[in-house]
Amino acid sequence: MSMTTSAAPWAVAVCAGVAAAGSRHVVYVPDNPLSHVLRVFADCHPGLRTTVATREEEAFGIAAGLYAGGVRPTVMLQSSGLGNSLNAFTSLLIPYRIPVLTIISMRGEPGEWNAAQMPMGRAVGAILDAIAIPHETIAAADEAEAAVKRAADLAFTSRLPAACLLSRRMTQQASA
Amino acid sequence: MTATVTRLEATGIVLEALERDPAAPIIASLGHPAYDLFAAGDRPANFYTWGSMGLASSMGLGLALARPDLPVFVLDGDGSLLMNLGSLATIGWTKPARLVVIVWDNGLYGTTGGQDTATAHGADLEAAARAMGIDRSVTVRSAEDLRRAVARALTEPGPWVIVAKVTESRPGVKPSLDYVAIKERFMAAIGSPEAAVAESSA
Repeated sequence: MSMTTSAAPWAVAVCAGVAAAGSRHVVYVPDNPLSHVLRVFADCHPGLRTTVATREEEAFGIAAGLYAGGVRPTVMLQSSGLGNSLNAFTSLLIPYRIPVLTIISMRGEPGEWNAAQMPMGRAVGAILDAIAIPHETIAAADEAEAAVKRAADLAFTSRLPAACLLSRRMTQQASA
Repeated sequence: MTATVTRLEATGIVLEALERDPAAPIIASLGHPAYDLFAAGDRPANFYTWGSMGLASSMGLGLALARPDLPVFVLDGDGSLLMNLGSLATIGWTKPARLVVIVWDNGLYGTTGGQDTATAHGADLEAAARAMGIDRSVTVRSAEDLRRAVARALTEPGPWVIVAKVTESRPGVKPSLDYVAIKERFMAAIGSPEAAVAESSA
């Protein structure tokens, strides 16, 4: 029933990192690369629950409630939605020290065709630095599981959000 | 606006209904709803937000998904819910049976000086909730109706949205500004102590 052989290796690795981190509920606002991740969750991680949020700020609010209820939360979003979520980071997650494993599918990197993606895509790192959210860019499938797990460990021990940025160079790789 | 109950009195009615359930979480939206919750009765299972306007119902949703064993109460404001109406769509989709979102609807941004909200000009939050698939949506205008609605919400599966028309109270006290202590006390009170979450992994 599982179709792991056709799944993109990077997506399999991201999911493995989330599972290894003990996160069993992912709240997300979808984008195209993340659809591969969601398919792997559905096919290979039946115990993991996913919830769609209408916008990114809401996703982090839901994640805060999951954490308060004893669940390690993951939020997945596209880089374009980071701006939508800043109020949740700065006035809920950071002051209350609520950790969320944050997985950001990057747009707006060199090679981007859509100018509407570029300003935020370029600013993601600087914005996360400005609010002191640690982040690591993942550009290769064989680094993805360890990097996601590393971010999760940092988040759930420091009790603050930590982010993984999924580079387009990696997420553009076709399915095997 | 035909409300006959102040928000502080109305908050007391909710606390009364939960008197025998000290582990029932209550998440209060920032500003006056949180101040009134503290004034009406501080308890460890109260979560006072001090920011993130609009996210109280989202937090309640996440908690209700994580802990279907608990009745989860959210004390929101009309202005706050208007800021995050998408939350109603997600609640209507996921339908956690024991989530109870109470919206203190005074038609005002009470914490910021009393500017009108859209509910003073026709916006109907009960209808919005219903339109998003939350069938258990009601509007109450008196203490007695609120008491009855909360009692129903505690016995009949939801999710519930109770739009309570209230008048503005003038809160005189505020909860702790130690946000981390609020969270830690809350998580311990509802039975998900934070240390256990830190230790849990695959």
